[in-house]
Amino acid sequence: MSDPIPPGTLDMLILQTLARLEELHGFEIADAIQRTSAGVLQVEEGSLYPALQRMLMKGWLSAEWGKTRDNRRARYYRLTAAGRKQLTRERESYQRVTFAIARILQLAPE
Amino acid sequence: MTTARGLLHRLLYFIRRDQYLSELEEEMRLHAELRAAALHGAGMSADEARAEARKRFGNATVIAETSRDTWGLGTLDQLLQDIRFAARRLRARPGFSVPIVAVLALGIGATTAVFSAVDAAMLRSLPFPREHELVALPMVTVPFEPELGERSLGRQLDISDVAEMTGVFSGSASYASGGLNLSDPDRPLRVKAGVVTAAFFTTLGVTPLRGRTFTAEEGKPRGPRATILSYGLWQRHFGGAPMLGKSITLHGRPYTVVGIMRPEFGFPDECDLWVAMPVPTTFSTFEPFRGYLPSHAIARIRPGVSTESAAAQVLARWQQVAEPARGQRRDDLNGDIREVRRTGAAVPLHRELLGDRRRALLVLLGTTALLMIIACANVANLLLSDGAVRRREIALREVLGATRPRIVRQLLAESVLLAVSSAGLGLVLAPVALRVVRAMMPQSLAAIAPVQLDLRVLVFTAALAIATSILFGLWPAIGATRGGDATMMIKSGGGHGSTTGLGKARRGLVVVEVALTAMLLIAAGLMLRSFQRLMAEKIGMNPNQVATLETSFPSSIPGAEQRRIIDGVVDRLSRQPGVIAAGAVNDLPLRGGGGISVAIEIPGAPPLDHGEPRFARFLFASGGYFDALGIAKLRGRTFSPRDATGPPVAVISAAMAEQFWPGMDPLGRYFTFRPDTTHITVIGVVADVRESALDTPPWPQMYRPIDVGPLNVAIVVRGTLPARALMARLTDAMHDIAPSQPVYNVRMMEQVIGASVLPRRTNTTLIALFAGLALILSALGVYAVVAYAVASRARELGIRAALGATGADLLALVSREMVAVVALGIMAGLAGAWAFSRVLSSLLYDVDPRDPATFIVVPLLLLLPAVVATLIPALRAARVDPTQVMRAD
Repeated sequence: MSDPIPPGTLDMLILQTLARLEELHGFEIADAIQRTSAGVLQVEEGSLYPALQRMLMKGWLSAEWGKTRDNRRARYYRLTAAGRKQLTRERESYQRVTFAIARILQLAPE
Repeated sequence: MTTARGLLHRLLYFIRRDQYLSELEEEMRLHAELRAAALHGAGMSADEARAEARKRFGNATVIAETSRDTWGLGTLDQLLQDIRFAARRLRARPGFSVPIVAVLALGIGATTAVFSAVDAAMLRSLPFPREHELVALPMVTVPFEPELGERSLGRQLDISDVAEMTGVFSGSASYASGGLNLSDPDRPLRVKAGVVTAAFFTTLGVTPLRGRTFTAEEGKPRGPRATILSYGLWQRHFGGAPMLGKSITLHGRPYTVVGIMRPEFGFPDECDLWVAMPVPTTFSTFEPFRGYLPSHAIARIRPGVSTESAAAQVLARWQQVAEPARGQRRDDLNGDIREVRRTGAAVPLHRELLGDRRRALLVLLGTTALLMIIACANVANLLLSDGAVRRREIALREVLGATRPRIVRQLLAESVLLAVSSAGLGLVLAPVALRVVRAMMPQSLAAIAPVQLDLRVLVFTAALAIATSILFGLWPAIGATRGGDATMMIKSGGGHGSTTGLGKARRGLVVVEVALTAMLLIAAGLMLRSFQRLMAEKIGMNPNQVATLETSFPSSIPGAEQRRIIDGVVDRLSRQPGVIAAGAVNDLPLRGGGGISVAIEIPGAPPLDHGEPRFARFLFASGGYFDALGIAKLRGRTFSPRDATGPPVAVISAAMAEQFWPGMDPLGRYFTFRPDTTHITVIGVVADVRESALDTPPWPQMYRPIDVGPLNVAIVVRGTLPARALMARLTDAMHDIAPSQPVYNVRMMEQVIGASVLPRRTNTTLIALFAGLALILSALGVYAVVAYAVASRARELGIRAALGATGADLLALVSREMVAVVALGIMAGLAGAWAFSRVLSSLLYDVDPRDPATFIVVPLLLLLPAVVATLIPALRAARVDPTQVMRAD
């Protein structure tokens, strides 16, 4: 059974996926996240597209219509320079937070 | 998302929303299909896979909506919705929205127009560099060559004296505006000529578009004749062809064009061209004028010298040059110096040009401001009444789940929509109003301070309107959201208990409205009475059915020839059917621009105080002139053809007879022109004619037969023909006798008079119009308050009716309070008008600013609509049906 994406991390996951795979359409992004996480994380379609629109608006992504392998029209997303910076910021803060959480969890009840 | 780029994105999304939505849809459809294919590949049946994919996608519409929100369309959509809703509501209640929009639009339009005029005339600086340095020097003359022998004997201050004051002034000049005939083989033309000394342009600090201004050489008597064209004349008459160095013929003499001025420069008096005024002047300088040189002197003060100090030095110089004079001449000069002391020896040019129109414009501005305040008060009143009624609806909507911000936003949308439509309509009205107000601009400022619509004012008044409607439009929302328990409001049938505060505010607004309206009505009443008095004044002539034209002869045409032309035209006209009388005069009454007065000596008469000479206006007229203009002949006779060549005679006015020969029969008596000693015998007395202005009592007037060439002449004809035919007869006769002689100002005498009172008429009409509007607004305000009171007290009134109160009781109950409010307003208004009466006094003619009749009539005039406005809703209260009211709740 797969888990929902922790709140606030969807943007980072999308950015990271695009950083790695360069150019994907919506379904491929969702698929890539799910597969890379070995099926643990599942992107809800209901939140993916609003998130993509929001990130477009913020200028983190650029989008262009293109063709899929089986020749269907799809919108392909790419990381912009601003998106790359944003990814760095989000990764840093994420690592700080997870590190802190891990510290707290290490102090398990005796 | 406050960056410009973000905003741009949003705008882009907004404009291309349909495309974005369909793209998003396509993207999501692809996603669902791919998901279904993947699930199918993983072993689900095709149908199951599709169903699962759809299920995982959730509600596509919601997703689209969420995405739309990220585009920022949600807010915009809601805003559009609010505006559409507001528009629907406003359209559904024209009785509420139409008065508000009309009132505000009128207020905005009128205020903008009037303020624009005031701004052009008074606030904006003259279009000359460092205009604050420019002053007018009242009474400073131009030296006259034939008199130069007297120059050392004590004299008036002239422009040559001023030119020597180089420590005070960096430049000085004289100018006068007159008319000249521009010869042209095709169409002879009368042009407005600025006659200016050589330093005129440099003193003002203006430069020509082409060529140059006058040289010192051209500013000397018998110097080279040069002219500078205005841009307008150059384009209009010469088609913008190269003119520099070319010669044009003015009054029969060749002038070389040396320059062309810039399009925006037309000082003085929107003139068509400029010619040099020689210093000292000669007789030929007088050609463009009616027998005298209406010159004005200006100067530019050196930096660092104050206007006061300049004035003091000019006055000192006056005394210096007058010093050597003795006897009569000394007395004359002392009179001049007293006059200069009174007006100020150096006056800021701007104020001098504005003249007496300053007060009229300020009063009009004040009136407009009052109207705008009344309009805003009235709109506030209507909105408050409406808001009180709407509280219940608002409470209901709140219960039904509308959020407060949303309700406030909807009310806001309504207010803004009202204000914006008013502002839009005001924008349309403003230029119309401006055209009317333009008539009040002083002629001397016409060319240099064009009235333009002032956008800043428009923005300001529109903002005021928007602020008013938002503030008072939101009032109910604030009250309702503050009021807390919404259900209470609905139950209690309109939140009756909480309206007393509102009621007080609205009654206060009515008091203000009524008071200001009373003040406006009093101002209007006084102005109207002045105008009525003025129009009823005996003006000494009968302007009905009289046509006139003017023409001006160059001095190259000998006097005898001029007389032959005039006599020929008059003679031809008087022999035509449909013509009653025809005549000629050198200076038509009320045509504007003054005339000449001469000092008269009456042998044996006692001298006047200060040894001042007796002055009389000096006119040339033909015998038929008096009949043609309808000037009553009181005694003796008027001129016969023989008088032009016989012994010198004169016809005098009643005022002259009364002042110079009090209690005596002036016929057969004689006077002389100082210092000449020729006896001129009085042969007749005619009525006084108002000639400089309708509101100026006439000077003593004296007519002489046309014995020399008059240069300027008006032909006057009275007939039974329709105006157009009469004017055609006049121009035809002139053209037949002297085809190359240009004529101008072909008008009916009534037009001449109309033009002379136009500023006063405009001012009076506007103030009366504003007062009338204010009256309507106040009545509307009273109505709104009473109507609301009746509506909100319906239940109480119903109970009273059920308990046996009669219709009359109920009527008294609801109107009693309003009578007190209106009475209070009227009292306050009368007190205000009484206190401010001095402001208006200089604009009135023959009416006391505290005129009792006006102060009695105005309250009655105001009371009547107030009573009607109270009674209409109050009668509704009297007819209240108790059962109906009780059931409604």
